Amino acid sequence: MNFKDWFKERFPIDYDKFVEINERIFIKEPIPVHMKKWWYCMGATPLILFALQGLTGIFLAFYFVPSPEMAFESVRHITQDVRFGFWIRGLHRWGANLMILSLLLHITRVFFTRAYQRPREFNWIIGVVLFGLSLTFSFTGYSLTYNQLSYWAATVGTNLIKSVPLIGHELLYLLRGGEEVTANTLTRFYMLHVWFLPLFLVFFLILHIIVLRLHGVSEPEGFPKGKYFPFYPHHFYKIIIATLFLLALMSSLTIILPPGLGTPADPTVTPFHIKPEWYFYPTYRFLQLVPLKVGIYVTGAFLIAFTFWPFIEPLLSKKNEVRRKISWGVGALTLIITLGLTIWESLV
Amino acid sequence: MDTVKGQQWLIGIFSTLLIVILIIVAGMEMEKSHATKPEIEIDKMTARCITCHEEKGIAVKQIDAWKESKHAVMGIGCYECHEAKKGDFDAFTCTGSDILIGRHPTPKDCAKCHEQQVKEFANSKHAHQFWLLKNGDRAVFEFPMATRHGCEECHQVGNIWPDGSVGECDVCHAKHSFSKAVARQPETCGECHVGPDHPQIEEYIESKHGNIFKAKGKHWDLNYSTKDHQKIPLEVPVCTTCHMDGNETQPMTHNVSARLATESQAPWSFRTVWDEEHLGNWKKKRERMEEICASCHAPDFYKMYFLTADLVNLQYNEIRRQFVYWTKKLTKNGTIHRLQRDGKFFSSPVLNGWDELPEHNMYYGWHHEGRRFRMGAEMMAADYTQWHGIWEVQEDLTELIKWAAEHGDAEAKKIAKSNDPTKFITFALYDVPGTAWGIAAKTNTTPFVYNNLPDYWDRVYKNVEAAFQHGLLSEDQWQLWLKRYKNKDYYLGLKFANTPQVDSTWNFYKKRNDIDLQKMKEQVIDLVLPGKSFFEGR
Amino acid sequence: MTNKPENPKRRAFLKNFAIIGTLLVAIGMFFRNLWEYIYPPKEKKKYHKYLVAKIDSVPVGKAKEIKLGKTPVFVVHLPDGYRVFSGICTHLGCIVRWEEEKQRFFCPCHKGIYDKTGKVIGGPPPRPLDQYKVEVDKNLVYIYVESKTRGPWA
Repeated sequence: MNFKDWFKERFPIDYDKFVEINERIFIKEPIPVHMKKWWYCMGATPLILFALQGLTGIFLAFYFVPSPEMAFESVRHITQDVRFGFWIRGLHRWGANLMILSLLLHITRVFFTRAYQRPREFNWIIGVVLFGLSLTFSFTGYSLTYNQLSYWAATVGTNLIKSVPLIGHELLYLLRGGEEVTANTLTRFYMLHVWFLPLFLVFFLILHIIVLRLHGVSEPEGFPKGKYFPFYPHHFYKIIIATLFLLALMSSLTIILPPGLGTPADPTVTPFHIKPEWYFYPTYRFLQLVPLKVGIYVTGAFLIAFTFWPFIEPLLSKKNEVRRKISWGVGALTLIITLGLTIWESLV
Repeated sequence: MDTVKGQQWLIGIFSTLLIVILIIVAGMEMEKSHATKPEIEIDKMTARCITCHEEKGIAVKQIDAWKESKHAVMGIGCYECHEAKKGDFDAFTCTGSDILIGRHPTPKDCAKCHEQQVKEFANSKHAHQFWLLKNGDRAVFEFPMATRHGCEECHQVGNIWPDGSVGECDVCHAKHSFSKAVARQPETCGECHVGPDHPQIEEYIESKHGNIFKAKGKHWDLNYSTKDHQKIPLEVPVCTTCHMDGNETQPMTHNVSARLATESQAPWSFRTVWDEEHLGNWKKKRERMEEICASCHAPDFYKMYFLTADLVNLQYNEIRRQFVYWTKKLTKNGTIHRLQRDGKFFSSPVLNGWDELPEHNMYYGWHHEGRRFRMGAEMMAADYTQWHGIWEVQEDLTELIKWAAEHGDAEAKKIAKSNDPTKFITFALYDVPGTAWGIAAKTNTTPFVYNNLPDYWDRVYKNVEAAFQHGLLSEDQWQLWLKRYKNKDYYLGLKFANTPQVDSTWNFYKKRNDIDLQKMKEQVIDLVLPGKSFFEGR
Repeated sequence: MTNKPENPKRRAFLKNFAIIGTLLVAIGMFFRNLWEYIYPPKEKKKYHKYLVAKIDSVPVGKAKEIKLGKTPVFVVHLPDGYRVFSGICTHLGCIVRWEEEKQRFFCPCHKGIYDKTGKVIGGPPPRPLDQYKVEVDKNLVYIYVESKTRGPWA
């Protein structure tokens, strides 16, 4: 008996079918020609970044200690003592920023090419969930460094949860592991960041890609319809180039703008200027402009509209042209307001 | 870039880029901000001491201090220094234990490991008990309660212990951290080398060295070693740099007398003869000091500086001669009296005496302003040389002569009543043309002696020559002085004093001065207030 | 100029080879960095002198037991000089005892026996007692001890 038969006896699956499926997914899958443009690769970019985040995150976990006494010191140890520690940390930090940035670009691209239209509405909603998970990733992540900014950002951030009607206080208690931000909070954030969030994200990510592949990549207007090219070698190479480019970019950013350490968290002293990370600026600024209740309800309404837009849009008009104009208008307005609020907050 | 070939090139380019960046990353190491402290192993005996002391709460911070020390890293714990044998003068059994401890580790104990340092120290004047040999003032003018926390505290550095050793090492290396950095800190020397009679720390702070140290020295690490002929790592010297630490030319020494050429603290400045057998004569000692100066300064500069400072010392001697002359004379003819009891004298006409003005002024003229005059000149502290120095010395002498005149001495009366400006220089003079640091075009046009005594330089020459022939100046110094003398018009700036460019600058300021004076007169001197004084008839 | 039909093919092959090679080097460097990151640093060990005894405190043929932190250490004065041994038995880590009458070290756990030079003369220990490098300076006996830094990290 040769080896192949010996193996097949013990793992009795249909190998030909297995190879065929893999070929279809990774090699032969027809990609529409518009995907040759880099603007349309904003979906692959967050995927690559997520993989790198996972990798660097695992390596960081070799040295990080999630206790109030050791969290800051272990981050310092990684940054200053461990060989290449500053690089791994820099990749992780810049990876997080770039991931949010590329997600925003991806959302913008998808929205303005209206790829959420029927029958792809649910993929849009899954995408919104993925975006929310990514933001939660970032929030829990930078709270782990346990310096002044991260400690107080965690305090203020979790305080916002209290404003959720009815269950707000219970949610806060659960998230913090108590009334105050304590060691419990740190370990819970750590578990969220390295266990629960990755699990959920991977699940929704696989779903997102499967649904995408089932429908096929949506073809935007303005490109010759029906023209395709195989996944390999073209798109495959694109992904390699993107990975190399991102690694080089993040490494350079680590060297030029290394992530700092800040001062260790002091629960008795609130620093004068605490701000969340830049991607939370719009919400932060908005909530300071209006009364809290108004802010919460308006933000909630916006989130609902944002999530269910693929179903809302067709209700607004029967004509495609009109729908396009409305969507673009709403999208442009959202972009301008969000950018405006972000820039405003960064100047204050 | 849409073609496969294009993509492949892109892969190649970005791979190369990534390789370059990864190489840069590999080359970088983030700044290590932690000054790592070595781990210390505590031996059994020391652990016993620490446990008991911590339980009883006695001197617990000393344990922390010890943990910071190099002794702790090298396994030298409590018992290595505090070990005592039965019969030792300071032996006692630690309460609640069976351990025999010596309360006062002496240099004999330190010498177990630091033999060389203890020997060097014992050979220095830090260990010399001169203050006990001639201690009139502390024995008579000040009583024990006065000196206990005063004189005795500083002079503890030269204490003779019952076991025969001399000195107190932790005066500079404070126990129990025995830190080198603390020993090097100028303020440590300044704990004793301070005050009206030897203001070295004040002089250091006034000097350029001290000023730069104050500005920049905060961040310097004074913990370095100079055992191995290393370059001086500081921008300006601290006390130990010149007086103890080594450089490329010589090793570090604990003998502070190895580099000092003149006894500037003595009643008379004389060339030191301390331990010539091991340290060489005063010229050798001066050479050692100069080799330290040479780390930063050119020989032209420091040799001229030292020549001037030496001449200041010799000049002081001539003024001292006057003080001695008068007090001896006044004692001889009974105008002033020595303290005595049962036929034994308790004051000296040339050293001390505290109740009569001549005695007082003679003492201060030596012990206080006389020392400041000399030490300021040596330590680059101009104000101490001048206003706290020679000015007050002159006042002391003038006052003494006036007092003698008032109390019937004819010679003194003649001087006191004289209207001639030379009444203030009743002693022989030294001089040297110019300074170490430049040519002053107008400075030397004003002195009375330069303008009114035609044979001034003749006499000065003869005096300096005599000092040289008497061995008080070296051959080098005499040659340097001669060079200056032969070109005195240049070095005194007189050659340039009346040139157009100097005169025009001088007149510029002279005009300004005239304006100042004129305005002062107009503003306040000529002001006659209408509301008259309340005193009748004024 | 001779037209070699192989050239374009070979050129293409070389080009591919170079590109794949560069790519593999880049990937290799990336993973090498990751490996260096998790591999604990093998810094060259530094040593410093540590005082263990004064010359006259241990007579010839006798041993003095001191504690190097928590490690028991024996200072033995042999006719040919001083030897300093770690008191940890090389078998399974028990603490040995010095038996002066027999001039040997004895381990009570499994009856391992070492002679006064640390050599195994009986019992299960696989190798002699660990020795420290000794230096005698004037009248003091030092050993060389590994310099460790204080802090929570190895």
